[in-house]
Amino acid sequence: MSVNLTTAQLLENRQVHRAVLDNGMVVLAVENSAADIVSARIFVRAGGRYEPPEQAGLSHLLASVLTKGTGNLSSLEIAERVESVGAGLGADAAADYCILSLKTVSADFAEMLELAAQLLRSPSLPEAEVELERRLTLQGIRSMQEQPFSIAQKQLRQAMYQQHPYALPSLGTEETVAQISREDLQQYHQTYFRPDNFVVSIVGRIAPEEAIALVDQIFGDWQVPLTAEGEVPLPSLTLPTITSHPKRVISTQDTQQAIVMLGYLAAAVHNPDYAALKLLNTYLGNGLSSRLFVELREKRGLAYEVSAFYPTRLDASQFVVYMGTAPSNTAIALDGLRQEVERLCTTPLTQEELQSAKNKLLGQYALGKQTNAQIAQIFGWYEILGLGIEFDQQFQVEIANVTAETLQTTAHQYFAEPYVSLVGPAIAIDQIATPAIS
Amino acid sequence: MIHQNIPTTSVVAVDVWVRAGAIAEPEPWAGMAHFLEHMVFKGTDRLLPGQFDQVIEDRGGMTNAATSHDYAHYFINTTAPHLAETLPCLADLLLNAAIPDDEFERERDVVLEEIRQANDDPDWLAFQALIESVYQSHPYGRPVLGDEVGLMQRSPQEMRCFHRAHYQPENMTVVVIGNVTQSQTLDLVNQAFSQFPVRPTCPAAIADAEPPITEIRRQELHLPRLEQARLMMAWIGPGVDQLRNAYGLDLLSVLLAGSRSSRLVRELREDRQLVQAIGSEFSLQRDSSLFTISAWLAPENVDRVEALIGDRLSELTTTPISDAELTRYKRLLCNDYAFSTETAIQLAGLYGYYNTIAQAETAVDYPNQIQTFKAEELQHLASQYLSPYHYAATILKPL
Repeated sequence: MSVNLTTAQLLENRQVHRAVLDNGMVVLAVENSAADIVSARIFVRAGGRYEPPEQAGLSHLLASVLTKGTGNLSSLEIAERVESVGAGLGADAAADYCILSLKTVSADFAEMLELAAQLLRSPSLPEAEVELERRLTLQGIRSMQEQPFSIAQKQLRQAMYQQHPYALPSLGTEETVAQISREDLQQYHQTYFRPDNFVVSIVGRIAPEEAIALVDQIFGDWQVPLTAEGEVPLPSLTLPTITSHPKRVISTQDTQQAIVMLGYLAAAVHNPDYAALKLLNTYLGNGLSSRLFVELREKRGLAYEVSAFYPTRLDASQFVVYMGTAPSNTAIALDGLRQEVERLCTTPLTQEELQSAKNKLLGQYALGKQTNAQIAQIFGWYEILGLGIEFDQQFQVEIANVTAETLQTTAHQYFAEPYVSLVGPAIAIDQIATPAIS
Repeated sequence: MIHQNIPTTSVVAVDVWVRAGAIAEPEPWAGMAHFLEHMVFKGTDRLLPGQFDQVIEDRGGMTNAATSHDYAHYFINTTAPHLAETLPCLADLLLNAAIPDDEFERERDVVLEEIRQANDDPDWLAFQALIESVYQSHPYGRPVLGDEVGLMQRSPQEMRCFHRAHYQPENMTVVVIGNVTQSQTLDLVNQAFSQFPVRPTCPAAIADAEPPITEIRRQELHLPRLEQARLMMAWIGPGVDQLRNAYGLDLLSVLLAGSRSSRLVRELREDRQLVQAIGSEFSLQRDSSLFTISAWLAPENVDRVEALIGDRLSELTTTPISDAELTRYKRLLCNDYAFSTETAIQLAGLYGYYNTIAQAETAVDYPNQIQTFKAEELQHLASQYLSPYHYAATILKPL
């Protein structure tokens, strides 16, 4: 099978260096001298997936407060230090990891990495900052209700993931966020923020050996927590298995457009079906030549935004197709989306369609690895998910090897009955004859 | 044509900028420039509708377009070996857009969906109301998307006229950046962009200069489904004929609300805790720029926050900025410039934009200009442009 090698091998002359420090911390470094800047992405194996359901939003709240105080620096002092060298520093939480992102001009990198280390190792989590960020988070949760797309996504996720932590938004819910205490944040920090649970990924104008030595110098003396019996093990996670029970979830909202969303439970990243599903997602919903775009927008004018997404997840993911459409078109839109997905189960792609989808996926994958930050992100992410940096190549080979037959079998296996999520005015909802089952 | 060879990448970005944004529309044709940008992708005598997208994406590339008041631009992000096949297709679309009648009707439905989607976004609604209030004479006050009533009255014939009148060499900048030599680029561009359409007579746009705001223009809108209020304030800034003043306002914008240590974020979000978020933006436009401060907050805090922002603007005109603060924001802007010029497509966008509203060379000079600002000049600019008594404000509150 031929691949578009020129674009797929964008990084071939740049080597990814990987080192493991004595304390278990993984360091990745790629030299890119094109510009006088360095980006770092520091990943922690924590995030939404690791939160107890009654503490949903814990990772997000910790990330918000993490940059707002250490033993000897106040929130304002931290902000001034970062901004006085024109750097960028921010923390965030995702479903499968927490992350601190950093970008600086090369000369300031060491100083900023040192500051980042202080924040990550010994945040003071000031009570007043916890309260401020909690209030802002609660308002943020309410504000998501202003966006029809967010409402559709939220109710779909809840229906599909049931008791699994992926069911809840990363901000948490009003109930859970109201309850999280400063002690909960400390406890969570102590449990997961430890060197053997970290990946530091650095890309830019810095020699790999230098980058690795710098991380060792700054983080090397940080030890994994010990008790008399030895190292404290990381908690083992038992998450509920998710089974598919398709249903309809509906919000009646006085909007100008109806959002129609179909979701199917889909494979986790470690599953052998991952590559085929990614390719199906590209073929169906990515770009101006995708099937959904051509059939539903170009040929029928039903939508401005019509697309598909299949996020990369450690646990079961979701394969979602959606569009926003005039309320009077809701039934047609639902039908159209469904037909296009089902066509993948019944009709194999032609060789040309298959090759085009591969070229598109691999070409755009390569275009997504241009900036220092993008390169640092992708390798660090593969490492924290347990895929290893080799996954970059492996994924491209797997995509190149997918056959039309595999795509059809995979589609058939995953795309049986969809979950349906609808948001729109009553005239949109009324078109969908079957009442909500809840 | 603008070209930069970057031999260390395998990527090539092409970005074509056309001085045919919403300000080129005669008033009854509002929305035409943006609708045309959609229709350009509907092909020519040689390319079927959608075929161009396929040509680009089948080769692993990406393409898209955008329209604003000052411009429409169309870009491809591809790799060096595919440039020779893809660039001529883009040129064909831009020069020979067929605008078929049946596609016109169908694509209008897509644009109407785009308008519906935007209408469900309260921030978009607030911003439209704000610019309408700021620009009462100049077309910068019109929505780029147009509206349903107006679009229903337009014909494919009128669009073909608009296209042929404006997609002409003196209005176009072709930017090619990446792993391609200058001579290759020149050959390709010369060949692809040679046959321009015959110019029709087309109704001209009238762009009246906008008189300064001499009062506080306040409007309050009440929307359903709103979870928090918005306060958006705007001031008219200089056009590109006073580029240095524009850069100074850029600096004032980050100093006021561009980062966590900036004055308004620190005071209103962190200390007094009166807002959920606050930000400011300076958008450079050819005829007159726009300086905005936007806050997301509880309805009961709107008046107090508006008054406090006014006080802080007064301070800017009376008290010089300290050296430490000035140095910090200069550095922040210069580094942001470095962070946003890493890739071919970013550079192509930057040069193309500047060349469309001014000259490409000025884009490169930006960091040097920023570095030379002193406190007195900024103080003077604040009193010239950011009056606490002359501005437009749009307030959104829940129904």
